[in-house]
Amino acid sequence: MANSHDVVPGVVFSTVDKVARWAQSSSLWPFAFGLACCAIEMMSTVAGRFDIARFGAEVFRASPRQADLMIVAGRVSMKMGPVIKRLYDQMPDPKWVIAMGACSSCGGVFNNYAIIQGVDKVIPVDVYVPGCPPNPDALLYAVTRLQEKIRSGEARPGHRILEPAAGSLSESIHTS
Amino acid sequence: MEFEQTRRIFEKARERFGEDVSLSDRPNTEGSIVVEPSRIRDFTRWVRDEADGGFDFFGEVCATDFLGRSPRFDLTYTVYSTTANRHLHYKTRVDDPDPQVDSVVDIYPGAGWHEREIFDMFGVRFNGHPDLRRILMPEHWRGHPLRKDYPLGGEEVQFSSNFADITPQTLPPAPGEDIFLGWDVLETQPSSYTQLLESGAELEHDGEGRMVINMGPQHPSTHGVLRLLLELDGENVVKAVPDIGFLHTGIEKTGESLNYQQALTLTDRMDYLSPMGNNLAFSLSVEKLIGLEPPERATVLRVIFAELTRIQSHLVWLGTHALDLGAMSAFFYCFRERDQILDMFEMVSGVRMMTSYICPGGLREDVTDDFVPALERFLKVFPDRLGEYETLLTRNPIWLERTQGVGKISAEDAVAYGVSGASLRGSGVRWDVRKAEPYCGYETYDFEVPVGTNGDVYDRYLCRIEEMRQSHRIIRQALSRLQPGPVQAEERKVVPPPKSEIGQSMESLIHHFLITTIGFVAPPGEGHVPTETGRGLLSFYIVGDGSPKPYRMRARTPSFANLQALPRMLEGCLVADAVATIGSIDIVLGEIDR
Repeated sequence: MANSHDVVPGVVFSTVDKVARWAQSSSLWPFAFGLACCAIEMMSTVAGRFDIARFGAEVFRASPRQADLMIVAGRVSMKMGPVIKRLYDQMPDPKWVIAMGACSSCGGVFNNYAIIQGVDKVIPVDVYVPGCPPNPDALLYAVTRLQEKIRSGEARPGHRILEPAAGSLSESIHTS
Repeated sequence: MEFEQTRRIFEKARERFGEDVSLSDRPNTEGSIVVEPSRIRDFTRWVRDEADGGFDFFGEVCATDFLGRSPRFDLTYTVYSTTANRHLHYKTRVDDPDPQVDSVVDIYPGAGWHEREIFDMFGVRFNGHPDLRRILMPEHWRGHPLRKDYPLGGEEVQFSSNFADITPQTLPPAPGEDIFLGWDVLETQPSSYTQLLESGAELEHDGEGRMVINMGPQHPSTHGVLRLLLELDGENVVKAVPDIGFLHTGIEKTGESLNYQQALTLTDRMDYLSPMGNNLAFSLSVEKLIGLEPPERATVLRVIFAELTRIQSHLVWLGTHALDLGAMSAFFYCFRERDQILDMFEMVSGVRMMTSYICPGGLREDVTDDFVPALERFLKVFPDRLGEYETLLTRNPIWLERTQGVGKISAEDAVAYGVSGASLRGSGVRWDVRKAEPYCGYETYDFEVPVGTNGDVYDRYLCRIEEMRQSHRIIRQALSRLQPGPVQAEERKVVPPPKSEIGQSMESLIHHFLITTIGFVAPPGEGHVPTETGRGLLSFYIVGDGSPKPYRMRARTPSFANLQALPRMLEGCLVADAVATIGSIDIVLGEIDR
């Protein structure tokens, strides 16, 4: 991806890239996929009062193959972890992830045997939203932050391999 | 239920079973009858058919691990009578190693999932259970998480002082056994899925046009992460097998590691559509355990909030249920009113959903000055708004076509499976805990319990709509009774003293310090109060051991039992009707999986 305007062959390419990024950021198609409490606030965000349509992200799709934004809304259990990984893999590139709420960001109040301490152990995350559950405003802010990141090229579309800690157990997931 | 009633039933049981039964010695409680494990089936049958008129409704069976005691495990059965309006606890005790007891599934079909849960969480085997598999944890999980010698798990929290020492994936090793199987568990799981789909779950294939399809855990109309295996003959459902546990959060285990005030905050996150209902059920059980009465104003406000919670929970149900069946506008209307209620919650507690506002001893704070005007505004508009929803749906031919005669369950089946709430009343059983075993003074309010006749999706819909109207009525009455006064009990050992008192009294300062640092102490004993939330019978079973932490915190959640009856409702339905039926029993996966 070229980002320099003074290289002649790059001019056209860079502009197209920018336009593409603008288009991607302005029509996010979230994946209709709720896990727990945060999913209810996600539904409130869609409803009339907060209206996520103002930011072009109202087209919730029930199939991962039609979505490019996964909002992980709720706690991720050990049993759900592999399912989320598979759903993420099924989404076509480019794709982004918002970890909504404390549980999907870091396990929240449930630091125990059943809950994966942060969905970022399973899939890469672009924006974390604090709160338990976050207000719809907070989710809207996360969407706008993601849009900014997409436009600036900071959030890179597609797969990224997290860097597992040496000897980490999570290595097998991310490299498989 | 009073202790005297339990004693009366016990005396009759003595005549019948002799030395095999005894009366539980635990103080502060309604008492329970202890039965020898070998007689549990005879006793259960006697309880169902004969004891004091019979107890037809199976509430729950709950295990407690008294590590170090012999016998080690207590199994507490709670059964209700839908006609005589009372309940009974009876217990049996089993010991290590290889704890086992006879299953009571053929006596109470509703015991099926509860026994599976105990097998999963405690490793107690139920002989004669037709389908004894893990239910919440993954199939190949090792160990039984709710045993007291199983570590809580999780990750050690990184502070700057120990940052370098902790690798993010550290989990406490179990004594002698590697309980956490590492991430390999996740790696191998897809294959176990396939196995389940191909061979497991006792699905019968005759190879003749039968097909097994998988619905969920990611499906827009399973209301969360429910997974259903559907065996189809053409488009007809022959058999449905629910698979749950995708949202298992370890709330009971975590609650046992926190003190009572902290454990209260977990109850919000259990049934996240009725946080105040959960707070109330938990607080009532803890209050019963420590013998505390909240003041009058707190009780009236509790009723107001419990009913507001019921309305907002039903609004989410109505919106999403209609959305599942293709009616989109109802969703937007319902969420408009729901936000009005959430604004009131935010007014009094600071948050929209996870309020933790009702707490042992009363309420966290008194309501703000703008609460009552806001509530009056809501009460004024709500009946008209309810009419709006009804105009959209009640006589809508598409709605009638999709809901009438679909997902039927008979009254007998519903009671046998332990279905409660509007899902039970839709089948014509007039059983509402607010009427049957009143708490918070519900016996003094004037309201009706709506019932259906056919037990189909449409009748359950009508019941919930009418319940919202009745809740509105209750709130009106409660509001007229609201008098100024304290909202917290005057019990300094449980409720922190007010700031003004701390500056003057050394004793208050000590109480305040102890309550905030350690928590209040509950005596040994058991607390259990059945309540009615938007989904049905919710009760917490709290075992205190004289420390500030609950020794056992168990939630009997309505959705868990209601979902158990889903296969029964789906038999012979079409695949599309499965969506309507799931919507109509109004499940919340958070409280099913806990």
